[in-house]
Amino acid sequence: MIQAQTKKPYFRNSRNCPLSEPDSPPVDYKNVKLLQKYISERGKMLPSRITSVSAKKQRELAIAVKRARFLGLLPYLQK
Amino acid sequence: MPLYEHVYLARQDITNQQVESITKSIEDVVKNEGGSIDRIEYWGLRQLAYKIKKNRKAHYTMMNINASSETLKKVERQISLNENILRHISIKVDKFEDGPSLMMNPRSTESSE
Repeated sequence: MIQAQTKKPYFRNSRNCPLSEPDSPPVDYKNVKLLQKYISERGKMLPSRITSVSAKKQRELAIAVKRARFLGLLPYLQK
Repeated sequence: MPLYEHVYLARQDITNQQVESITKSIEDVVKNEGGSIDRIEYWGLRQLAYKIKKNRKAHYTMMNINASSETLKKVERQISLNENILRHISIKVDKFEDGPSLMMNPRSTESSE
């Protein structure tokens, strides 16, 4: 990975943030289906290095997931 | 005036009329204080992801409230005194969503197991 980057200094990572597109849905606590894609089977949030979500959107996701959990839309933990 | 999205969860045992009367009482408080409610959405009796005060289901209602912070304080006080309400949340938003929220769409309402 580091080698590839040193070889191609202007190489842009092709994996873009799926939530930063202009037509991507807004991150919202009411959109439970969207949020479920970003939590594990256990109910924990997935790290952004796996989902390739941008840092900005990851912060929004964290807030949305916490709101949805408080309202009983998402679990705090699943077994 | 600031805009708030207010969601409250009512106990599963109460009837739809009781939920409506709670919503009505909140509406009255807001209107008496000079605010307005732009939208009321009843999301129905939904399965909770975990038990809250021994309830497995709850009546969800969302309201888009356009009122001052003092008014919202009064609304929250009234809600917290009501024993039929399990939880409530007020979120300040920059602008309300256009059209009904995703919860009103039957396809997206399949809740988590």
